[in-house]
Amino acid sequence: MFARLVRESFVRNPRRKVLTAAALVVGMAVATATLTVALEVGDRLAREFRSLGANLIVTPESDTLPLEIGGVDYRPVDEGAYLSEADLGKLKTIFWRHNILGFTPFLDVPTIAAGMRTTMVGTWYEHEVPVPDGTSFETGLKATHPSWQIEGRWFRDGADEVVVGAALAARNPDAFAIGKTIQVTQSEPSDAARALVITGIATTGDSEDNAILVPLSFAQQYSGHPGQFRQLFVSALTKPADALANRDPKSLTPTEYDRWFCSPYISSISYQIRQVIPGVDVRAIRKVADSEGKILSHVSTLLWIVTLAALIAAALAVAATSATTVIERRGEIGIMKAIGATNAMVAGLFLAEQLMLAVVGGAIGFLFGAGLARILGASVFGTPAAPRVVLLPVALGIAALVALIGSLIPLRRAARFDPAPILRGE
Amino acid sequence: MAVLVQIENLRKEFGNVCALDGVTFDVQAGEWIAIMGPSGSGKTTLINILGGLDTPTSGRAIVDGADVGRLDESGLARFRSEKIGFIFQQFHLVPYLTAIENVMLAQYFHSTTDETEAREALGRVGLTDRVEHLPGQLSGGEQQRVAVARALINHPKLILADEPTGNLDEANEGIVLKLLRELHSEGHTILMVTHAASIGQLADRRIELAHGRLAQVNVRV
Repeated sequence: MFARLVRESFVRNPRRKVLTAAALVVGMAVATATLTVALEVGDRLAREFRSLGANLIVTPESDTLPLEIGGVDYRPVDEGAYLSEADLGKLKTIFWRHNILGFTPFLDVPTIAAGMRTTMVGTWYEHEVPVPDGTSFETGLKATHPSWQIEGRWFRDGADEVVVGAALAARNPDAFAIGKTIQVTQSEPSDAARALVITGIATTGDSEDNAILVPLSFAQQYSGHPGQFRQLFVSALTKPADALANRDPKSLTPTEYDRWFCSPYISSISYQIRQVIPGVDVRAIRKVADSEGKILSHVSTLLWIVTLAALIAAALAVAATSATTVIERRGEIGIMKAIGATNAMVAGLFLAEQLMLAVVGGAIGFLFGAGLARILGASVFGTPAAPRVVLLPVALGIAALVALIGSLIPLRRAARFDPAPILRGE
Repeated sequence: MAVLVQIENLRKEFGNVCALDGVTFDVQAGEWIAIMGPSGSGKTTLINILGGLDTPTSGRAIVDGADVGRLDESGLARFRSEKIGFIFQQFHLVPYLTAIENVMLAQYFHSTTDETEAREALGRVGLTDRVEHLPGQLSGGEQQRVAVARALINHPKLILADEPTGNLDEANEGIVLKLLRELHSEGHTILMVTHAASIGQLADRRIELAHGRLAQVNVRV
């Protein structure tokens, strides 16, 4: 009987129903669009931020402090700790492996190049790293330091080639010219000089402007540390830190720990890196991470405010149409109460009708919202935001909540109608 | 016979207007009472209080042991669905429900619906072939017969009829009165408000109200 009552009542006065449904459609369309963009915006902005460079630095836990003067590390090659190149593939096995966009090892070796004291930086530009699962991962400076500019070309992996930092090249343009060969030695005078062909001049904006960059394998062989490196720069997609992100994992409850571990915080990714490569220190490059966090959090706040405003507007519209409906149907309510309906039965009847409208409005609003999100995504990020089916139940749930909140006051009023005056026609 | 309705010094005020002023009388189970009096004498107010649609300002109205003025909201709803069968002058059917659905609505608010029983009730009032009609497709007399079927469906202790023939032509008036006579002969207790002396004469007793007071009590017909 209840279903029959709701059905019969639902198909009556379609104009009023259309108005209520329209309010819900608009509210849910805006909510779906902003939620879709909000979910996308984190990933997209994070990817765009990653074009700024690495955001994590991995060093040996027991390393000594670098002795750098003017960008040149004066530590002897035998001092300090090293990391194993063979472990790097494990980075692509952590829980958030897909968020590891790239990593580049650095091996600094004090050297004399073309008679000038400088640092030789062994690294990768484009390098295939074998992953324990049998696949491989291409990474290097191209992924972690995309802002570095090159005049000429980068060295080839494994070749006796060198790229000279722009500041160093400016100090001796004749010696450090593209195409020329330079001699590198670790001490002077030396019989063990090695010849390297200059393929490019790099402008990095970092200390490497005063260094020479060579393939990692060359630097390892040259320094006598085959298969080793000193520093690793990692570019990882992360989410802004919140209260949970900054907690000590040891102080978390098992549920909190699971949530923390399964969130791509800088802290949780660092933790996972330390798990697969023991004995390392993983630090965030704070300047980059903090800026990302602030921008992401501001954009998210803005989207949430827009969503909330749309939902409040929808709830107000539902409240207005519900109030009119309840007044129109006073007579019916009076009859029902006269023949034994309780307040809860009357409220339940109207509520069921509102929930049906919420399902219809929420579903249509979701479709419109998915379209709106595509347009927003295309205009803001250049590519349309993909519709997320997971948001459909969310949209329906929110629509039901909005319909419920909007109907609350009219429903209370309906439940409290006194049947006697209604039946008297007052 | 047992007393079904006890009314003691019943008073009802609407602001400064006193609709009922110290009304006292009893109704035996199985009696048919006609409540008569001019407009504004308090007849409908009395019926509404007895049916739990209104509450008294003071005094008591006890129906089948339930003091109506002391019932809370849910108690009143249960009282109306279990003990009272209403027949209104304006019929008061739900316009978008068919005849049978209107009858089943009372069943639903009482406990559970039983379509067969609802069909039988409509058959009893002579509407077997009109069960699927909406109120708008029925004549006034037919609508009132649906209301009678709805009033009877939960086997109420007391049938309250407020001018049940006030909106009907002579032919339909006859049909509805015949139904009321049948109900009375089956032992139902009926309190009927009416203006018409000819209809009032059908009842066992007449109670006449004037300005909210009993003008004539226990007039045996």
